[in-house]
Amino acid sequence: MTVVRRLAQAALAPVVAVVIALLISALVMLAIGVDPLDALRVMVDFGDEPSQQITALVVVLNRAVPLFLAGLAVAIAFRAGLFNIGVEGQYRMATIVTAGVGAAVVLPGPLHLLLMVVVAMAVAAIWAGIVAVLKVTRGVSEVISSIMLNFIALGTASFLLTGPLRGSEPGASIITSKDIPESGWMPSLNGLFDVLGLANPPRQLYGFLVVAVVVGVLVSVLLKRTRFGFDLRASGLSPSAASASGVDARGMVVKTMLLSGAVAGLIGMPDLLGRDHNYGTEFTSGLGFLGIAVALLGRNSPIGIALGALLFAFLDRAAVPLQIAQIPSSVVTIIQGTIVLAVVVANEVARRLTRRQAERGSAVAPPSTGNGSPGGGRGPDGGSPPDDGPGGGNGPGMATVSGAGGRRGEQQGAPA
Amino acid sequence: MDESAPLAVELRGITKRFPGVVANSDIELRVRRGEVHAIVGENGAGKSTLMKTLYGMHRPDEGEILLDGKPVTFRSPSDAIAAGVGMVHQHFMLADNFTVLENVVLGSEPTRGVRLDRAAARRRIREISDSYALGLDPDTLVEDLGVGDRQRVEIAKVLYRGARTLILDEPTAVLVPQEVDELFGNLAELKREGLTVIFISHKLDEVRKVADSITVIRRGTTVGTADPRTTTARQLAEMMVGAELPTPATRASTVREAPVLRLSGVTVAAVDGRRVVDDVSFTVHEGEVVGIAGVEGNGQAELVDAIMGLRPLVAGTLLLGADDVTHWSTRQRREGGIGFIPEDRHRQGMLLDAPLWENRVLGHQTRPPVARGSFIDRKGARADTERIMREYDVRAPGPDTLAVALSGGNQQKLIVGREMSAAPRLLIAAHPTRGVDVGAQSAIWELLKDARAEGMGIVLISADLDELIGLSDTLRVMLRGRVVAALDPARLTPEELGTHMTGAAHPAGIA
Repeated sequence: MTVVRRLAQAALAPVVAVVIALLISALVMLAIGVDPLDALRVMVDFGDEPSQQITALVVVLNRAVPLFLAGLAVAIAFRAGLFNIGVEGQYRMATIVTAGVGAAVVLPGPLHLLLMVVVAMAVAAIWAGIVAVLKVTRGVSEVISSIMLNFIALGTASFLLTGPLRGSEPGASIITSKDIPESGWMPSLNGLFDVLGLANPPRQLYGFLVVAVVVGVLVSVLLKRTRFGFDLRASGLSPSAASASGVDARGMVVKTMLLSGAVAGLIGMPDLLGRDHNYGTEFTSGLGFLGIAVALLGRNSPIGIALGALLFAFLDRAAVPLQIAQIPSSVVTIIQGTIVLAVVVANEVARRLTRRQAERGSAVAPPSTGNGSPGGGRGPDGGSPPDDGPGGGNGPGMATVSGAGGRRGEQQGAPA
Repeated sequence: MDESAPLAVELRGITKRFPGVVANSDIELRVRRGEVHAIVGENGAGKSTLMKTLYGMHRPDEGEILLDGKPVTFRSPSDAIAAGVGMVHQHFMLADNFTVLENVVLGSEPTRGVRLDRAAARRRIREISDSYALGLDPDTLVEDLGVGDRQRVEIAKVLYRGARTLILDEPTAVLVPQEVDELFGNLAELKREGLTVIFISHKLDEVRKVADSITVIRRGTTVGTADPRTTTARQLAEMMVGAELPTPATRASTVREAPVLRLSGVTVAAVDGRRVVDDVSFTVHEGEVVGIAGVEGNGQAELVDAIMGLRPLVAGTLLLGADDVTHWSTRQRREGGIGFIPEDRHRQGMLLDAPLWENRVLGHQTRPPVARGSFIDRKGARADTERIMREYDVRAPGPDTLAVALSGGNQQKLIVGREMSAAPRLLIAAHPTRGVDVGAQSAIWELLKDARAEGMGIVLISADLDELIGLSDTLRVMLRGRVVAALDPARLTPEELGTHMTGAAHPAGIA
């Protein structure tokens, strides 16, 4: 009951935000001469045939998996009060190196996959670790250094792709790395559709979906249940209180960035291991930045991020059908953009409302805990506040400085 | 005063409700022109709410406000300022890197064309400063000013805007006794010029010294007025709390032989190399309360940080019992038996946006009952939070309430309860009763006394001189980072202690 209520409360802000964003997007569409209802119809139309519908679903899920991982990577840092804007560079570095390593070795299937996943996580973690080291040793803001490292990562990736790791013919319009041998391909989950008795679509549902779910659960447990997670969240809620409680602030920055980076390293894996089997100029880009949006949308909670990733994936899928229907596919970008803006605003409004509600709550706190808290909620009759009620003025961060509470009168006689 | 003259400020039947609670009910206040009128009451009695009403920060649900006999309605503080009512807040709202002039004119700048007319502003500020003897130099940077001067800048700000009635919210809370006397001198000047001062306080002897008349507020309503010349502090106090008053005084000494904390030559440097804590040495024994007195900003906060391992030492050693903890991390020190009640509970003591049970975990992440191996024991933490709420009278709906929902007193009781739960050998208590109401204050004092009797060593830092003198077994005075005096609290008045704190007793600044 309370859990349901809490979930509903947590979901309220993003849901309201999405609705508002859709309304704003509708206005924009009207302004550029697109019928919003038309666009909506195209977006939700998954096709008539069951196989078409399942295919659309697979497309959405396949897109959602990397988005989810990206959101998770960003959220881990966010929870510790760090803004890892460098997820983009971290996963691109990880993917190109992993593609190179994966193509260079031949191992039995599971080991090959495991090696590549470990390499990806390690490379991205090291890349994110640079940010952490700069921050703790030189005080460089992680926002600045991670943006800078994005450029370095993209440049390095291009160099590796055109130089040492080049696998495509010289002169080919699309440059790719060498293909990873089949032992390093992630099996798809399409068998699932046969088990469920659904039409087996031509598209492959990424096997990495399972990995993503496992990672999501692990991160959730880590953040919520462990001492490390507590220290991490405490650092995000109040760095000063966290240090006073014994959290090593520097160590926490390093650990958090390594963890965030490690998860970021996985972002490229679904596409690399499940579809492309090489890294090339056409490889999915921009996931790191979308991850920030998804993390915001999901309020940094793994379940919220999963929902946010699905929403963004659903919108992304609509781009092609929209173009076919002669509607500019930038409608999708507009909707995503307004959603992010609306969510940021809504989250802040929700945060303030919760706080104010909580503060009001103190005014109506029952006089003592053992005293029937459900019935509580009113001050004593006669209109006087509980003696330590806020008197309407105890805002956050407003510790009322006070000295002796009138004891002087008793301690000393008449003043000089 | 002429009885027929209209009152400068009159509040009739003011009632202000917040959801579920009535903060002010049927308040009556009559302030004559040209007097200092004190409003006294406990923390949480509704003084601030009332003054916010008068200053236009919110509107009353019932009742009316009359200025000079005419009813007025304030929609915002700017309406109040326009009507000549100004407020000097308890927490200064000054930009440190601006000059006095810039701070005073900020928000109502005199302009010539589009430029700030510094000459006009300077003239006006000089005028105000001279006529009320504020002694302000318009071109000093505020960051170079002491607390008393900053307060005078705040007063000048209000006067600059043409206020005829000044509300001072707990103006003496941040001042040492000598500065309080200066403030009272300024108030006398204001009064002489015909201005009206409403003075909010709960320090009764100060009120009796400065006020011409007194209104007492208890539990949201006015319980009466008093004439400071004929009313004793005791009578006032009884009106205020309606009960016997608590005292901080401790019982017989419980100091034992064994030292729990030994500081020798502890030195802490600021970023610029200045020694903010300079060669401090003292010992805390079991069952002893060592009080650290000093005007705020003389190294007490840094000393606390040094003991807690939040700041590195440039010299000196720290011994906790027999262990040299100089190079231990904060967590090791906490595990080694140091409890910590921080000076600023919002900054260092709590996670405001986290539930109470998570706040129970804070600082004790590695120890039962809130941790089990590498995991947080959520059930254990919730149960222990409930125990603390029960035993330490923390008034909150339950362990899942957000910490921000609690009043300052309840937050502090939770922190005290949390730190006591780990049965520390040594407790660092920085301003343990700051910003809490009288009830919580006496509860916290009792807890400290009990802990002391059981053999806990306590380092007590406080700005409340009565608290320091009453609770401490020995007192050290800090001035500019150094311990300049070791005093016996048994034979010491707050005034003497204040003299030591300002350095007046030590011209050379050396103990």
